Amino acid sequence: MFSGSALLENILAVTFRMSLASSLIALLLGVPLGILYGSRAFPGRRALVVINRTLMGLPPVVCGLLCYLMFCGVGPLRGLQLLYTVKGMVIAQILLITPIVAGMMESGVSAIAPDIRETALGLGFGGWKRLLLLVNESAYQIVTTYLLGLSRALAEVGAVSMVGGAIAYKTNVMTTAIMNYTNMGNFVTALALGIILFALSLLINIAVSILQGRLAK
Amino acid sequence: MKKFLALLMAVVMIAALCACGAQQTGAAATAAPTAAPESNVKLQILCEQDDSMLNTYSLLAVNPKAPFKDADGKAVSGVAINTAGAAALINWLLSADTEKLAAGYGQDKYGQQLFYLLDKAPVSTAAIPAPTDATKTIRLSTTTSVNDSGLLDYLLPQFEDKYGYKVEVTAAGTGKAIANAECGNADLILVHAKTQEEAFVTAGYSYVLDGFESERLSFLYNYFVLCGPANDPAGVKKAASVKDAFKLIADGKYPFVSRGDKSGTHTKEVTLWPAELGITTDADSVANYTAWYIYSNAGMGACLTMANEKGAYILSDKATFLTFVANNGVTTS
Repeated sequence: MFSGSALLENILAVTFRMSLASSLIALLLGVPLGILYGSRAFPGRRALVVINRTLMGLPPVVCGLLCYLMFCGVGPLRGLQLLYTVKGMVIAQILLITPIVAGMMESGVSAIAPDIRETALGLGFGGWKRLLLLVNESAYQIVTTYLLGLSRALAEVGAVSMVGGAIAYKTNVMTTAIMNYTNMGNFVTALALGIILFALSLLINIAVSILQGRLAK
Repeated sequence: MKKFLALLMAVVMIAALCACGAQQTGAAATAAPTAAPESNVKLQILCEQDDSMLNTYSLLAVNPKAPFKDADGKAVSGVAINTAGAAALINWLLSADTEKLAAGYGQDKYGQQLFYLLDKAPVSTAAIPAPTDATKTIRLSTTTSVNDSGLLDYLLPQFEDKYGYKVEVTAAGTGKAIANAECGNADLILVHAKTQEEAFVTAGYSYVLDGFESERLSFLYNYFVLCGPANDPAGVKKAASVKDAFKLIADGKYPFVSRGDKSGTHTKEVTLWPAELGITTDADSVANYTAWYIYSNAGMGACLTMANEKGAYILSDKATFLTFVANNGVTTS
């Protein structure tokens, strides 16, 4: 498509590695959290909801800055050597996406939790089985939340550019590449990358929409 | 419903492929619109041999025993610096062959030299050791002026292929590149701001490598050039010296794009304005001039694009500007 297709392949590969890893881990962390505190009342729950919602709106550059300060050469976590690596970018994204997943699960689950509790009581389900029943009933919600997390991961630019450094062939993802090309004046390439990103997002959403149609049946 | 979705998917895929495929054939078409604004920017070569526009590039190795401080200002120990890798890269860059390559860069493509070799540039004959797992990754923090000219993209793959090291390059304005090194995120820096380099050395962040005499290893130079719109409303071409040219721009309040990021270019630019304006690298000093002085806080390529769009004057290093002109308004990376 344009010269340096090895570069483009690398950009796509890193983007997918990073987005899939961070969205899946955020899903695994956020769904249980969201379901757990959405389905039962306990002291301090309202405060937790407020904190969660605030974290959902955390500006990505702020998260990127915090991670940079932790991982940089003089930071407290410098021994982990996470700056300018894909792992570091994934961690920054997990910090951003998990609150979103948890928050959306919480709002979805708290609506259906009372009914599920009654059903579970009726069926004689204990704690674990009730939770599994909840998960089963919120399958649609989980898939939608995952998609939101994945889109957030794909579209993120502030945190990943600070922590990753947009190093060629290593931590350059589509969004940071678009930013770099724009700064260089290469608008054509930047736009082409943007179209690819958008088309891929659309394909994923169409595929999952079909899946959700099957789930609903 | 499913059939409709599948059809929609197919249509989108085809549309995307066509859009991308059209890049190739449309490249000629897009060159035309980019050529039109491109003719707005005209190189003004003023006093090219004037020492006040000299731009010297230096390599500095980061000292592993430097007084690193964390964000709160407390001393930090155990900062990992790849001294062997940095020494290997510096020795290679300063070897006779590589210096010739650097000086010859761009001559075929652009018809002129982009970088000149300093007469007193140090020449290294040290052997380059093979990389080990610990020393394989070298972090080089450099400036956008060097990066956007494409010199590193030309030189570094040759180093990596020959010896097996991997060089990770982060480019930012000189101020940020140096700050990065002071945070322990770089093993060596390649910058072009003498006062900032000397402060870096005085603070103990650099050290003298074996076989060299000083911490600052200056090896390449080129010139800054003042560029501006073709119609030159300020009449800069008729100015006797570079400082007169800047006075003309200031008096007439013609739009000027400044790097605004405490980079080498920015540091040089603030010395060229008339003293009574009181322009320094701080944003506060230009608070009264925002009508015409654009403090952009961006890299060289981005600022050239901005100046091109606005028809403004700008101080650039010659290498990046030539790259920008030759590629029709696009700097390489």
